[in-house]
Parts: sequence; structure tokens; C-alpha cells
Amino acid sequence: MDNFQKKFVEEATDLINNLEEALLTLEKKPGDKDLIAAVFRIMHSLKGGGGMFGFDAISNFTHNLETIYDEVRNDRLKITEDLLSITFSAVDHLRNLLNPEALNDKIIKKNHDTLLAKVAQVLKRMSNPESKIQQDSSDNLVGSNEKTYFLQFTPNESIMDNGTNPLFLIEELCGFGTSLIFPRLHKVPLISKLDTNKCYTSWEIFLATEKSAGQLKEVFIFVEDDSQLEIIKLADFNLLTDKDTIEEIEKQFESKDNIDINELNEFVNELDIKRKNLKVTVKEKLNSFTKENIISSIRVDSDKIDQLMNLVSELVTTQASLSLYVEEKQVYELNQLSENIENITRQLRDTAFSISLIPIETMLTRFHRLIRDLSVEFNKNIEFITEGAETELDKTLVQGLTDPLMHIIRNSVDHGIEPEKERIEKGKTPQGMIYLKAYYSGAHVVIKIQDDGKGIDLDVVKKKAIEKNYITADAQLTDKEILDLIFIPGFSTAENITDVSGRGVGMDVVKKKIDEIRGTVDLESKRNIGTTITIKLPLTLSIIDGLLVEINDTKYVMPLNLVDKIYAVQHEKFVKAYNNLVIIDGEQIPFYNLRNEFSVVGQPLEMEQLVTVKYEDKRVGLVVDNVIGEYQAVLKPLGKLYINHDIISGATILGDGTIALVLDTNKIIHEFSFKN
Amino acid sequence: MAKTVLIVDDSESIREVVSFTLENAGYNVIVAIDGQDAIKHFDGKIIDLLLTDLHMPNMNGIELIREVRKIEAYTRIPILFLTTESQRDKKMEAKDAGATGWIIKPFIPAKLLDAIVKVMR
Repeated sequence: MDNFQKKFVEEATDLINNLEEALLTLEKKPGDKDLIAAVFRIMHSLKGGGGMFGFDAISNFTHNLETIYDEVRNDRLKITEDLLSITFSAVDHLRNLLNPEALNDKIIKKNHDTLLAKVAQVLKRMSNPESKIQQDSSDNLVGSNEKTYFLQFTPNESIMDNGTNPLFLIEELCGFGTSLIFPRLHKVPLISKLDTNKCYTSWEIFLATEKSAGQLKEVFIFVEDDSQLEIIKLADFNLLTDKDTIEEIEKQFESKDNIDINELNEFVNELDIKRKNLKVTVKEKLNSFTKENIISSIRVDSDKIDQLMNLVSELVTTQASLSLYVEEKQVYELNQLSENIENITRQLRDTAFSISLIPIETMLTRFHRLIRDLSVEFNKNIEFITEGAETELDKTLVQGLTDPLMHIIRNSVDHGIEPEKERIEKGKTPQGMIYLKAYYSGAHVVIKIQDDGKGIDLDVVKKKAIEKNYITADAQLTDKEILDLIFIPGFSTAENITDVSGRGVGMDVVKKKIDEIRGTVDLESKRNIGTTITIKLPLTLSIIDGLLVEINDTKYVMPLNLVDKIYAVQHEKFVKAYNNLVIIDGEQIPFYNLRNEFSVVGQPLEMEQLVTVKYEDKRVGLVVDNVIGEYQAVLKPLGKLYINHDIISGATILGDGTIALVLDTNKIIHEFSFKN
Repeated sequence: MAKTVLIVDDSESIREVVSFTLENAGYNVIVAIDGQDAIKHFDGKIIDLLLTDLHMPNMNGIELIREVRKIEAYTRIPILFLTTESQRDKKMEAKDAGATGWIIKPFIPAKLLDAIVKVMR
């Protein structure tokens, strides 16, 4: 595939997504003119691009759809459910057709033919006498044989003002068949009086062609008002094949200033030729155009963005070395410079990050579609409400998030929302609701998926956990702990495995996927009220603002956004603490001594630092030897061997070339609180 | 001096293939993604040819050329439509707005170049 084709495929993918989105909205607002115009325009672009870049299947396929939506656009056809469902299938099929080999696949080919037939049926039903298709065919009938025309073309002197070149028109005309041209130059003034911007020439043309008079007239469509044009049909056959006739015409007319129509008619009559004058009337119609808001943007290869990110990361690391050098060598002249570079680097980093952010809206369309299709399949009545679609996330995060979210939504439709009848019996609204909300919270993005279905039956979960030996029959668990059992690998509550959820892929996979992008999942469920799943994600993956701390010469980084306060506390106080609680600012704060937890050898300092970090809605202290300061940490993965160490999110290179581990404080606290 | 052509199309792939064709033939090429974007270029700089799509968001081709023809300096430049549209009423409308010609997509690059050379001659 050449580069242009690749570009087209990218672009077409976007167009198809937009199309799907527009159709989904159109389904709710069938009369919306702007949307219909947008659908038409997308079909039109796909047809044009498809033809241009060798995707003939796409071009042919969209051609008829475009005609249908053109009719809809001009109020000659109504949007029906039938038409929409055909168009939806067409959207899916178009995605397949982006693969040039697609039609070699028997199933796709069959689908292609079925859809084409369906579309053709819709077209057939709209038997409108004014429709374009019929006009075209009648045009073609007239032009089925060669005929001879006589054309008189006298452009206005000002014809060249809008950039028209009359010669271009004449040339185009000649391309239609055999011609005999007499340019008439008698109006051309003396060179001293000649205005080069004016056209003084007129033309008289004999043309034998298969085209109709209407088609000839079309050549002059752009100059019609600026010129005199006469087209006369001289004969229903080719007059210019006969050498004698040509000579005769030349003899008769070449030397004249212009041909008198009467004279010509006589001449033709002499030749015993019928003549017929064709008139073409042109109907003008003004169409109103609807405007649409689009974000002006450019498309950049994601490899280039990755490369930019890498360079920014390198710059951040190098800048740290510079700052360190300046500090150690006490080079005051460089101080200001180094600080400036630090500032700019930070800004550059933030800008570079924002480039790779995309609104989650991009994946919401898929969910709308999913819910629409599933509602039909399960015969459930569900409304999907979204809020905060403009919330932006790193592109890689969005990609990693799509599958887990799809699964959660599938679960909600399949197991959560009850059938209409059951809902009415329970006194709920007949229409079920799935609500997706995204918003920023500190350095995190939170995505909440809520349904008002039957909720998770804790007894069933517990029973199953006991059956599967995850817990003992006499285990005393809180409701929350029972719910968390769902995240255990292999746990699935579906009593009957359906096509949608319960395919062995359960909530454990959802959790695993979200863990992979350093997010957390939280589940809440109330019987007969509904289930809420909250996913919390970091804003970015590769550079974080951190707090650099030290334990016995080893350096660690904590995410700065989670750090609350830092206190200097005597070591003794921790030793004497009861139940791992210290009193700070009159408040009991649980703490973990990282020196102990990490089994660091050596003597603890007399004065230690307690860094309090936010954990859920509480403050928890982490004890370290020293706090060094703020640090921009470029996260580097630890490699395969350490993949299971989720309390460490990665490593970073410090200014002096040594390595610091980046701690995931949430995971640390979670893990240690379980251990103790 | 190389002549400058302004290409207006909402499809990136079309913009690229047209730019590629024209640049290889020695033209200066400016691109715009729709009418609104294109009109910004008519600020006194020399544009020898405007090659525009018809159906575009924000400001379509016809609206664009109406605006362009209003500007004194650009009343005479050739304006070609490059579009899939082939309806007569659309052509008429385009002509009334001040278009010079009409090229149908899909086009063969060599033919496109031919047409462009002709109108710029």
C-alpha cells in the first residue's frame, strides 16, 4: 500500500467513526438537518477518496448510499428505522472494506452483495420522476449516435477577467469528436489599441460527436452568461467524414467574418440534411449549506509523538544533571541559566504531554453503539447517558481502557439492567439507565460507570466463593470484601454463560488491564438499586512530579500530587507508637516505617521524616530518613523480572546518574495494611 | 517564479495527493482544510490558482469563492473546483459564484496537471 493509500485508510477510519456517531445521534433526532448534511458529506468524501485511492469497493458501495442521503437531505425521502439499520450495517461493512483484499473473503463478499441489494431496494422504492438517475439516463439516450453540430461561440471581451481561458473550452470541445474550427479575428484591434486582458476572438465550430447538445453546452457552463453561444444540430450523422463536404464547408465559410445561420441552413438543406435545434434549459436551485463545528487539528504519526516524548524525557534527565552540576560547583553565573532551562523544560514537558491527550469522547461512540446493539439483542430498554466526554486522557491510556470499559458495560446490560417487565414490577422506570461520567480529580482522571439495575447479589457471590474454595464457609466478611471477591481470577457470577459477558473473561481481567495502566478499580453495589464501578487513572504514564526521599543512601521518589505534608519526628516516637499510630497536629495518623518494611540494614537516624500522603480519603504517614526535594521523574520500566512488584511503578535516573525507585504509595499502603 | 496554487479540501489524503502532483510539477502549494481556513490566505499574497473542493464543513467551496471574488486583488484569478459532485445545478451555482472550471474526482494526476497548466497559461 503506498503512502497516500495509508493516509486515506487513516482518514476513512475517522470518517467512518464520525459517520457512526452522526447516525447514532440521528437515530434520536431524525429530523436534524445538520446531521443529515454531515452524513451525506461523509458518504461523499468516502466515495471521492475511495475512487481516488483505488478502493473501488468503497466508492461503489457509498455511491448509492450517498444518493439516498442526498434525497433525504432534499426532503424527498424520510429517515426510517429500516434505512438506519441498513446504514449501520453499512458502517460496519465499510470498516471491512478498508482492507483492499476484503472482498476475497467469502463471508465479507456475501455481506457486501446482500447490503448492496438492500441499498438498491431502498433506491428502487424512491421512484421520483425528478431523480437525478433518470435524468442521466435520458441524457445518454440522446447521445447514442454521432451527430453533427454547428457552434457559434462569441465570448464577451471581459471573459478572461475571472481567469477563464476560452481556448481551454475549445480544446475540451474538440476532444469530443471530429471538428472543424474557424477562429474569427476581425474584431481584434490594432496592436496599439489592444488590451491583453480582453478577448476579441470568436469561434465557429463544426463538430461531429456522440455527445448530446446538453453535454456540449455543459462545457460552456462557466461562461454562459459572459458570452453568446449558439448550438445547432446540423445532422443526425457525422457530416465531417466526407472529404468533399469538408472542403465544401471550408470553401464556403473559411474566408467569411462570420457564418450567417440562414446561409448555413441553406447549405445544409442543399446537402439534404435535416436540422434540428435543441434547446437546453437550465434549472437553478439554491441549496442551503449547514455549518458544522470541527476542531481544527492536524494528524501526526503517533511514532513521532512517542519520539518527542522520549526526547523530552531525555531533556528532563539532562536538565537534572545540569542543575546538580551548578549546585555542586557553585557556578553562580550558570545559576540563572540553569533555572531558566528548568522552567522551560517543565513547560515543554507539559505541552508535549497535552499533545498526546485525547478526549474520551473518541471511545464513547463505540459504547453508544454497543449499548444500542445489545439493547436490541436482549430486548431491554436502556438509555446511555454520558458526562464529561471532553475529559482528556493519554492516548495509550484510552486504548488500554476501551476493552475493560466495554466489558463493564456489557455486564451492566447483560446482568445489571432488568427486562422492562421486571423493572415495572419493582416500581422502577421502564427504561434502564447506564451512566458514564468522567472527571478530573487531582492528578487523576476518574471514570464512573453506574447502572440502575438489580445490583450484585452478595449471597450468590459468597456461595460461589465458598464453592470455589476462595473463602471458608464460616468466614466473616464485610459487604465490601465480598464484592471484592469478584476480582479474583476465574470468578464469574453468570449462571448461564451468554454470548455477551461471562465468556471466561471476568472482572479479574478488567482489574488486571487497569492495573497495567496504573489505575485502580472500585466496585459498589446495592441490591435493586444498581452497581457503580469507579476507575481511577493517572493523567500520564511517563513523567511525574515527585518528591525525592532517601533511606540509607538509597533514593526513592513519591508522586508529589499525593504528598500532603512533611514532618520531622524523633525516631523514638515511632518506636513507642502503639498500633502504628502517631499523633501529629492533634490527629492520629497511621504510619509505615519504610526502613523496616523494605528491610533496610543499618541504624535509623535520630530524627526521621514523616511524609504524609493521601490514601483514599485518609492521611497515612511514610517514614524515611531524609527528604531531598522536588524532582521531575522520568519513569523507566523495571523490566520483565520485576513486573509483579506493583508497589514500585518504575525507576528514574537522577542528575548524578544514579537510579531512584519510584514508589506507588497507594499500592504500598494497601499492601502493608493487609500484611500487618 | 514558480506559480502558487492554493488547494482547499477537507480530506487530508486528497490534499496530499494533489500537493504531491503539483509540487512535482514545480508549483508552490499552499493547503487549507476548508473554506474558513482558506479565506485567511487571501490577504494580499499572490495566489495564481485556487483549487477547491465543493462539500466541506464550516465554509463550502461555493461560499469560499463568493468571498474570494469580493476581494479586489483576486477577482481575476482562475478558480477550479475539484469535486466528486457532478450535478448540473451545483455547477451552475459554482459558476455564478465565480468559478472558472470544474474537474471531477477521481482524477488522474497527469490529467489534472494538464487542466491546471491550461488555465494558468
